[in-house]
Amino acid sequence: MKLDNLTELDKIPEEIVCKVRESVVNTIESIIGADVKYVDETNGEGPLNGIIGNINVFNSEHTLSLMLAIPKDSALHFSEVFMGMELPFESDDMGDLIGEISNILAGDVAANVEKVGFHGQSSLPTATRGSDLTLFMPNKPPTEKMKFIADDAEFWLTMVLSESK
Amino acid sequence: MGKIKALVIDDSKIMRSAVKRTLNQLMLADFEYIEAKDGEEALEKFNGEIDIMFVDWNMPNMTGVEFAKAIRDKGYEKIPIIMVTAEKSMGKVDKALNEGGANEYITKPFTADKMHKAINQYFDEEGNMASDDEEDGKQKSFFKSILNS
Repeated sequence: MKLDNLTELDKIPEEIVCKVRESVVNTIESIIGADVKYVDETNGEGPLNGIIGNINVFNSEHTLSLMLAIPKDSALHFSEVFMGMELPFESDDMGDLIGEISNILAGDVAANVEKVGFHGQSSLPTATRGSDLTLFMPNKPPTEKMKFIADDAEFWLTMVLSESK
Repeated sequence: MGKIKALVIDDSKIMRSAVKRTLNQLMLADFEYIEAKDGEEALEKFNGEIDIMFVDWNMPNMTGVEFAKAIRDKGYEKIPIIMVTAEKSMGKVDKALNEGGANEYITKPFTADKMHKAINQYFDEEGNMASDDEEDGKQKSFFKSILNS
């Protein structure tokens, strides 16, 4: 796959979106040991009280930014199933955990989007915790927001495709 | 049964804990852990008396593959290096095993079963590291048993 000039793209190519969606479901399912479902509804979501894991899959031309937005209750649930105990939401360990989950997701995304011609490598992850969090995309790059639900959790993935600079 | 010195290298404290917890669950040996948050710190802590290493790939300062290569370049050819990483593409696996000189490759998230399959061969029944001599001995007795059957 050859990506067109990004200034002419108003959305992320569907084949990349599908591969990322597949990676999110597979990765989070294997982490929490429960079914994860994609939900085709993103309207009406307010600001987040929770934590966002940020990571990029990039090459010299393009960067796929992944922002995994996890509400507080879901983050607590993830920590319980991943660590065998609930981590304090305000702790450094919680940031470490969500960063690591983002890292694992990016590894799967990198391998999966390679199948449709996007060859990239993962950056190091970061995590942002807070209340009333809203993601802004000032330059209006091609963006896709997806919602996922599991038994005891819900979360969103926002991905942005931009030129590497 | 002596203590097995395991060097666990990952920039995530959570993942270092997960590796240690899984190894303890497997009860293959009595482990003593030395931890490092990246390849650079691991090289500082490495004193040649490490029995086995569990190494993440994507870390600041020095990656896991760079660390593994540095260890092999120092002449430590026989210490098992187990890559434990989120990198999944075949190109990365190939690079870790061939360029870095790693022995095994485990992708995250890992299960106890996946870890067991990857490292079981490095331990004997008494919880010691299976030495090359012992491996040779096992192979020799295996062939001997075939010859005698």
